[in-house]
Amino acid sequence: MLDSGDAKGFLELLLEESALKGARAKERCPQCQFFGYFCSYWPEELVLAAGMEPLRLMPGPGSATPADLPSYTCSLARGTLAGALRGEYPDLAGVGFAHTCDTMQCLAGIWPDSAAQGRTLMIVPPVTLQAPGAADYYRAELKELAQALGRIGGQSIGTAELGQALELCNHIRRLAAELDELRPALPSQLVSALLRAGQVMPRREYAAALESALPALKAASSEPQFRQRVLVSGAVLEGDSVFRLVEELGGRVVADDTCTGYRHYAQPPGAACSDPWDELVRRYSEMPLCPCRHRGLEERPAYLAELARRRTAQGAILVIRKYCDPQAWDAVPVSQQLKSMGVRTLVLELDGAEAGGRERTRIQAFLESL
Amino acid sequence: MNEKRRYLPLKSTKELKRTMGRYYAFSKYHRFWGKPLGRKLAWVTSGAPVELLRAFKIHPVYPEQYGAICSTNKATAALCQAAEGAGYSQDLCSYARSHIGSVLRPDLAPMQGLPKPDLLVACNNICGTVLKWYEALARHFNVPLLVLDTPFLAGNLTEHAKAYVVEQLKGMVSSLEEITGRKLDERELGKQMGRSAEITTLWRDIRRLCRARPSPLNAPDLFIHMAPIVVLRGAPQGTAYYRKLKQEVSQRAAAGQGALEKEKVRLVWDNIAIWPRLFGFFRLFSERGACFVTDTYTGGWAMEISQGDPLESLAATYTEVFLNRSPEFRARQLIELIRDYNADGFVMHSNRSCKPYSLVQEVIRKRVTRETGVPGLMIEADMADPRAYAEEPVRNRVQAFLESLE
Ligand code: SF4
Ligand code: SF4
Repeated sequence: MLDSGDAKGFLELLLEESALKGARAKERCPQCQFFGYFCSYWPEELVLAAGMEPLRLMPGPGSATPADLPSYTCSLARGTLAGALRGEYPDLAGVGFAHTCDTMQCLAGIWPDSAAQGRTLMIVPPVTLQAPGAADYYRAELKELAQALGRIGGQSIGTAELGQALELCNHIRRLAAELDELRPALPSQLVSALLRAGQVMPRREYAAALESALPALKAASSEPQFRQRVLVSGAVLEGDSVFRLVEELGGRVVADDTCTGYRHYAQPPGAACSDPWDELVRRYSEMPLCPCRHRGLEERPAYLAELARRRTAQGAILVIRKYCDPQAWDAVPVSQQLKSMGVRTLVLELDGAEAGGRERTRIQAFLESL
Repeated sequence: MNEKRRYLPLKSTKELKRTMGRYYAFSKYHRFWGKPLGRKLAWVTSGAPVELLRAFKIHPVYPEQYGAICSTNKATAALCQAAEGAGYSQDLCSYARSHIGSVLRPDLAPMQGLPKPDLLVACNNICGTVLKWYEALARHFNVPLLVLDTPFLAGNLTEHAKAYVVEQLKGMVSSLEEITGRKLDERELGKQMGRSAEITTLWRDIRRLCRARPSPLNAPDLFIHMAPIVVLRGAPQGTAYYRKLKQEVSQRAAAGQGALEKEKVRLVWDNIAIWPRLFGFFRLFSERGACFVTDTYTGGWAMEISQGDPLESLAATYTEVFLNRSPEFRARQLIELIRDYNADGFVMHSNRSCKPYSLVQEVIRKRVTRETGVPGLMIEADMADPRAYAEEPVRNRVQAFLESLE
């Protein structure tokens, strides 16, 4: 196992933060001003540039049914709204929504009425990312958001502030990429937990802890011989149980395309732009797609196919949160694409992030079939 | 219960059937006339800028309306199952599921499905579903998919959002020029927009006549007679139809003739109809003298077509549709309807299929009641899938609500 005491300490810190998911954030970092957000399309850089810390909001355990949302709403929306109503996210300077799916659109709309914590902000990225005018529009949206965040954080965002924030985020993304490369040789749930920590803890602290833990993780990693190699794709997973189950049942998650997993960090191919605003637009327009965005018909299935090929995945688990339309739609072409290249797929519908007995049976049967 | 005695049928219904029958026959036989005339057939979403398509002599066909037709023909459950069998989750929009089902199993579908498209045009001003639905269709038919991305408006339309939509419209013009082999004729586009303005004004006038007490129309009338404004917006046949309908409704209003024999309660409806129970459901109200004098859904087609430069006008008109706007905007709209139509209450259909319409309704309900003092009832069902309708609980809730209004 890990040989350095320091590394062990950092690893423990990361796992602790990951399990806390932002609870007691203010207590753990009294000098930090946290700003809540939901999706990977929310530009964390701007929160950091405004002198605040981005904190991704995730639902607590158990099912929640806040009166303001109907039962046929995904549990991410229900759970976070219920959490806010219970006062689980105090001390937030505000909450930010990136327009993604219809559910997020609605949650953003009702949030100030139901659960106001500071200001509620929204950015509406282009859906058709390569459409004529999309980049200019995106840039203007980002600038408008920067102004609003600057007012809240009390620090106006200029090119220099943005540049520094980009540097920090890109540093974290490089570290996450190193960790992601180690995936085949590390327990699946460990990697997923470490990646989640980077969305809920102060970013400099995360970068320092992960950087210190990485050498030990590398040293401790060893690629097992007899594990079925699996790709996992899906939206938000606030817990590690799918990953843990795969591991317990003899598999290994070798590739990850979840919204709270590696997709959150994945950088687009190609060279960075020198102007930080252009770079921000480029990053969010060209990073691996979520099903809510459109860059032609083939890009997302092709990306996942390539990911599966690169990591030699034998099977893919497409996790769909119940009532999550975008993921449910994409499950059809993605399964077809993966199947056509010999990668079996399992569409696993879950109410939240917790996989239970029924899912255990299904994952077991799936892994056995590989 | 003798429904006829309580409910006054519209004479125009015959003309409606003729108009719609012709439209669907015309669509069905497109393959015979479309090719020789060089006119393409497009499947389009209800909120797509049809004026532009018409300017390119494209014949538009509307899968969403077809979803409603499937439902009133009791074909939805089987078609949805066909789509579900192909991997589409049963929680997805039932218009989309049933329409995809009709593509996969035309043998189960009314009119054996819609005539095949030469191109697909989706505008996401109503929901994110249409994008995914049309992506699926584009993969299936391997035809061009044109998407118009109209950014959701948390507040008012910003200059940069408008500029973005205009840029896309320009891009769409180039694509359409390529697909149809025609050049954009700006005069023709202007003419089409004028026609749309004419038909939407007629529809708005007809709806306004329902401010009379008693109301000359009830919600089922609005839902049935909205068919031409969806598919024939800008087509002369549509305009001709609404002229006739307006005449009949005006006469009713002038004669003090109500849709119900005795209108006791005036209500506003929010969301798409429950098509599989259209009459049965509204009868729960009409048999107690409760008339739905207006609604938010069919009102969506009474939009003002903005003036000025055609592409800018299209950008504003289609980005500002009510489903693309905040709960505040939607609550304000409902409050104004309650005030203008003198309503005593409102009923919201919490529609499992349509998340953008439904997920904000409870907050809107509370806000509207707080500001107007008028109570609102929430009914959970589905616009097309009959499997989501629970007869008994609905009946009880409606009864209790109406009693509270008496
Ligand atoms: S889980 Fe799906 S439906 Fe829910 S907010 Fe995320 S993308 Fe939207
Ligand atoms: S989700 Fe709603 S707006 Fe979208 S196609 Fe379905 S019914 Fe229409």
